[in-house]
Amino acid sequence: MTVETKDYLEIKEYAQKVGEPDWFTALRLKALEALPQLTLPSFEKIKYQRWPIQLKGALKQRHSKPELLQQLSLKDAAHLVVQLGQETVTTKGLDLFEEQGVIICDWQTALREHPTLVKKYFMKKAIKVDEDLLTAQHVAYLTSGLFVYIPKNTVLKDPLTSYFVQDATEKQDYVHHVIIVAEENSEFSYLENLTTLGQTETTANIIVEVIAGTNSHVKFASVDRLGRNTTTYLNRRGHLGTNAKIDWSMGMMNDGNIVGDFDSDLVGDGSHSEVKVVAISTGNQVQGIDTRVTNSGKHTIGHILQHGVILSRSTLTFNGIGHIIKGAKGADAQQESRVLMLSTKAKGDANPILLIDDNDVTAGHAASVGRVNQEQLYYLMSRGLPKKIAERLVIRGFLGPVLAEIPSQLIREQLKVTIERKLVDGQKDE
Amino acid sequence: MTTLEVKDLHVSIEGKNILKGVNLKMKTGEIHAIMGPNGTGKSTLSEAIMGHPAYQVTQGEVLLDGVNILDKPVDERARAGLFLAMQYPAEIPGVTNAEFIRGAINARRPEDDPMSIRAFLKELDKTMSVLDMTEEMAERYLNEGFSGGEKKRNEILQMMMIKPKFAILDEIDSGLDIDALKVVSRGVNKMRGPEFGSLIITHYQRLLNYIVPDVVHVMMGGRIVKQGGPELAKRLEDEGYAGLRDELGLDIKLVDEEA
Ligand SMILES: Nc1ncnc2c1ncn2[C@@H]1O[C@H](COP(=O)(O)OP(=O)(O)OP(=O)(O)O)[C@@H](O)[C@H]1O
Ligand SMILES: [Mg+2]
Repeated sequence: MTVETKDYLEIKEYAQKVGEPDWFTALRLKALEALPQLTLPSFEKIKYQRWPIQLKGALKQRHSKPELLQQLSLKDAAHLVVQLGQETVTTKGLDLFEEQGVIICDWQTALREHPTLVKKYFMKKAIKVDEDLLTAQHVAYLTSGLFVYIPKNTVLKDPLTSYFVQDATEKQDYVHHVIIVAEENSEFSYLENLTTLGQTETTANIIVEVIAGTNSHVKFASVDRLGRNTTTYLNRRGHLGTNAKIDWSMGMMNDGNIVGDFDSDLVGDGSHSEVKVVAISTGNQVQGIDTRVTNSGKHTIGHILQHGVILSRSTLTFNGIGHIIKGAKGADAQQESRVLMLSTKAKGDANPILLIDDNDVTAGHAASVGRVNQEQLYYLMSRGLPKKIAERLVIRGFLGPVLAEIPSQLIREQLKVTIERKLVDGQKDE
Repeated sequence: MTTLEVKDLHVSIEGKNILKGVNLKMKTGEIHAIMGPNGTGKSTLSEAIMGHPAYQVTQGEVLLDGVNILDKPVDERARAGLFLAMQYPAEIPGVTNAEFIRGAINARRPEDDPMSIRAFLKELDKTMSVLDMTEEMAERYLNEGFSGGEKKRNEILQMMMIKPKFAILDEIDSGLDIDALKVVSRGVNKMRGPEFGSLIITHYQRLLNYIVPDVVHVMMGGRIVKQGGPELAKRLEDEGYAGLRDELGLDIKLVDEEA
């Protein structure tokens, strides 16, 4: 099948407007041509296929009013990138990094100024363009993003903070791509914040690729609070080389329906991925989280720890997939997924899935879905604490073990604040 | 002065009638003790007064200063001045003792006028030293991994910090060593005064040597069957409950009796 002329023209026009290099436009068209052969990815027990999650094809350049940002109280940081919609609004403290050869730039700049690097890493190692319908749509309609490159032997002790603010004041899909390349022996720490301004019904398709080279160490943290009327596909994927390590700490505090696909491919021997997820679902929303670690290399370690809380009539599904490939001698795959229900109308699911194709490995799993402990609530309330506060304290205790494992104090504190805010808002719906 | 009055209280749990008409009246400034055999309904009475949702009141009233509180949830009763030191306090991971106590104090104050951290810590320090508690206990998670005796001390710490009008102490002496018993008693005695009343449930007369009650109630078979002064506790210690039961002509089987 050939590409529809409408989309084709739209892409050409957009490319011209933003000055996109031809090779990338060609990649878009290839992705567009692949669409008819592709299907939506499927995730155990997450039924999202009928959501408005597919991009409808509206590749347009759009300018957002920077004043909009005043509605958010963004926390300052020493090294900062703030993007609103398709544009970068603020950067701060990047020169200190750049002096060491680090590249931090937005998507269009990366395409123009660093084509060799982008060609080498963009959906080549961690994710493939034609993996499924959503990844291909992503490439065809991508309009914003961030490119981060940490050269060999570069150690950045201070974290980089990014705010990606989706502009939903008008109807426009949000298609965003982040690449983090950490070369051999480098260290990098990153905190990503996804938020939404505006209430228009929109679709977000966000892909983050972390390519961790030999002996590198990446600490990736995120606090996600996308809006109530944003339907999101969020794919974060790590590709780990020999002895590389990624610490993922993700707070899923979104208000709308979302599929979170969090994967780590432990390709190099001795590589190690620690995935921590805390999630809170409120109102009527559905959050489906599919966390996979695949141990391919020998002596690789993949640990998943996810705790979530559900209020009102919301849904939260945790899949934990530990996949050990044949030949991954000495691999270790451990996982724990727990869901705490605060409401009898909420739906929670915790599915451990272990796929083990080698004998010389260690693996284990724990999963539970349970109601909040009434004796604990009663005890707290018997000291005069109102029910909602008592509930939040019990929840804090439940999420505590995951928070305690998050390597950065700063991120722990920030997550606590966001959790508290999300819970207070969510309790209003009870 | 505040009064607490229990009137003809009937309580059942899981369809079983436990309290069969309890009457009891006390004022701030007074210490009352309740003694009675195992399984007779003492904890049931305290939980029903406090408002545990599992205990169903089928008849009667609990009046605080003449106002029935039975339609109020537990947190409102607590803010109205009631406190229950529980026989089996819950453990709450992830919440430190100090922040919990501060939250409980602030729940009683206007939202825009919380107790300052400095004032709170000063008072907490002082109170913990009265109770011979190490500072470390303030930063530990609420009751988590506390020994039996530490939990009891922690209940008294909360009571002293929150300063309720009426504190019901359910077997606060169980599991305490001799020194701890004195420490806990010291805490309760420090609270004694015209603005504080306490209802102390105990099996052992020894506690009442340290905290001398004004009134002793004996509970059997879901009712209060006798009242007296401190000497009543001494008599029970010597004679057990069978003598009193037979004297009163009650048809109640005690737990340790053969069928
Ligand atoms: N949750 C429950 N389910 C069923 N029965 C209960 C429950 N709680 C209490 N009971 C019963 O109610 C009766 C009274 O119990 P309660 O705890 O009030 O006794 P108590 O006087 O405090 O005894 P003790 O001196 O042993 O503490 C007992 O027979 C007990 O088994
Ligand atoms: Mg009892």
